[in-house]
Amino acid sequence: MTETRLEQAVGRGFRLVTDRAMAPYQTAVVRIGFAATWLLFLLREWPHRAVLYGPDGPWSLGMARRMLDGNHAFSVLTWSDGRGWFECVYLLAIVAAALLMVGWRTRTMSVLFMIGVLSLQNRSIFIGDGGDNIIHLMSMYLVLTRCGQVWSLDARRAKRAAARNAAASADSGAEGAPGRDLPGVLLWTVLGLALATAELLGCHGLGWFEDGPFPNLGWGLALWILWAGHGLWWAANRYAPGEPRTVLDVLAKLVHNGTLLVIMVEVCLVYATAGWYKIQGSRWQDGTAVYYPMHLDYFSPWPELSRLLGDSGLLVMLLTYGTVIVQVAFPFTLFNRRLKNVLLVAMICEHLSIAFLLGLPFFSLAMIAADAVFLPTNFLTWLSARISALRRRLFSRGGPARPAAAPGGDEPEARTHGSGGGHTLVG
Amino acid sequence: MQSYGDETRSVAALSLPSRIVICVAASAVAVAVAIHLAMMFLHVAPLNTLSKSQGKLIGDYVYPEYEQNWKLFAPNPLQQNIAVQVRAELRTRDGGLRATGWTDLTARDGQAIHHNLLPSHFQQNQLRRGWENYLSSHNEQNRPNGARGELAERYIRRIVMQRMGAEWAEGGQAERIQVRSQTTPVSPPPWSTEKVSDKPEFRVLPWWQVTAADLPEGATTK
Repeated sequence: MTETRLEQAVGRGFRLVTDRAMAPYQTAVVRIGFAATWLLFLLREWPHRAVLYGPDGPWSLGMARRMLDGNHAFSVLTWSDGRGWFECVYLLAIVAAALLMVGWRTRTMSVLFMIGVLSLQNRSIFIGDGGDNIIHLMSMYLVLTRCGQVWSLDARRAKRAAARNAAASADSGAEGAPGRDLPGVLLWTVLGLALATAELLGCHGLGWFEDGPFPNLGWGLALWILWAGHGLWWAANRYAPGEPRTVLDVLAKLVHNGTLLVIMVEVCLVYATAGWYKIQGSRWQDGTAVYYPMHLDYFSPWPELSRLLGDSGLLVMLLTYGTVIVQVAFPFTLFNRRLKNVLLVAMICEHLSIAFLLGLPFFSLAMIAADAVFLPTNFLTWLSARISALRRRLFSRGGPARPAAAPGGDEPEARTHGSGGGHTLVG
Repeated sequence: MQSYGDETRSVAALSLPSRIVICVAASAVAVAVAIHLAMMFLHVAPLNTLSKSQGKLIGDYVYPEYEQNWKLFAPNPLQQNIAVQVRAELRTRDGGLRATGWTDLTARDGQAIHHNLLPSHFQQNQLRRGWENYLSSHNEQNRPNGARGELAERYIRRIVMQRMGAEWAEGGQAERIQVRSQTTPVSPPPWSTEKVSDKPEFRVLPWWQVTAADLPEGATTK
């Protein structure tokens, strides 16, 4: 009896993770959030780029190479000493972040985005802070999630193609094969050639079985697998739309759902670590901790404001205790939808104030982007509808605006009212 | 290449080989996720029975790309302002030696951060983290612990020369430099009865001979 129940549970779980790529809106927000944060950071540091990551920096390329030889981190910046190569990589990192943000060739751009993040950050490992740390992790996780299912140029193109197909099949009675997708093929070929060239030149860090993202999986092999996977998906779409495509689709969903779980647990680990270690500190116990960072020279861009806030002992204590309570409690509130949303709002507000008060805008933006994986689908579809309505009002002059489409429109079903425990976590 | 299908074809309707592939893949993903999450947990958790016995395994998995530290202002926030100050011994044009006064590099960072909505990593992190790295890779007698310490010292020398080189060059050729840190406790909150000495403490490093390797790329010691 118990065995059949166990079997049923396994079967249900299996169907759940193979049925669809979960949390399309949340993963899209995470994608947009991290790509935008990194893009804004790169643009902000544009005047300092050569001192932070390039040839003018006190952390010279020679020193970086010695460090990377020791810790085996990946960076394409070690491939050449030239200033041109550095400028090229920095520019490509900007372009990849921008294109990932708008969701153009999301799968390809997520890989280039990751290469940009790892290359720059590993080149100068003593430049980053917690914000860079979370961007580093998420850039790798995003590669394995289908983060362009909604709110992306890819989704728009897919929708248009589907509409065209439907019209064509209504005309001729036969379903048209998907287009050749010339830009996609070109991009794929160019990147394959680039990777092959790098391999042939013996560029550093492209080993097959060592020093990669997973034990016994080198960066060289990992990148080739991603490249082959993209090609296979294109071929299956075009030439084998039946079972082969379905199998690949299910595999991609599996990987997406697994990585989604990793992202969610990672965010919980961040807060759990931050909270549980704070409990052990005497300053967090006596209610004065928040006072101190605001009075450090490096984290007080607005000393007048810090002084004003620091004047009230009660306020400092409430903020101190509140911070610890929220951080420790957060992972446990995931099992209660309403409580989770309240804490989410509290954490986002706290990060917004940190951005301003402690002068950590990019750290805060990155943390908010990470929190976004837990935003409720209802809220995201509502937001989407508002933005669409606003866009229509702005861009369609003349004539009254059409009534806003139902939230989500043609985008995948939001499934906020589905049953099952999963939706508390992601919906 | 990008269009996502939303087939609802059940896996059960697929052929046997396809189902086998999917089952194998599902198990592989489950195992990989479990391993990854266990490693991440053990990496951020305090040192414990398991992480003590499996330290090397965890380290090999986590470093370098999954390294993380979320002890944000924990267990206690930093309660001191640490300022890095430098001076140099200049060989003047008439051949004499002249020591400059101390320049507070941290104060310059602070000025750049003051009333800045978007502080740069250049001012907020470079010197601050460079100095942290120096302290963590040297003992009290300023002896480096291994190769990392050597790199950390070189980094400090180069940060100093990069920031001060042009200024000092006006007075002569910088032959030796000296670095010290000034640690001042943050004065306790106004409502607190706590008493903290507001006397700064200094850690003074030995004089360093400036070498070509300390200068920004392309520059040479004449």
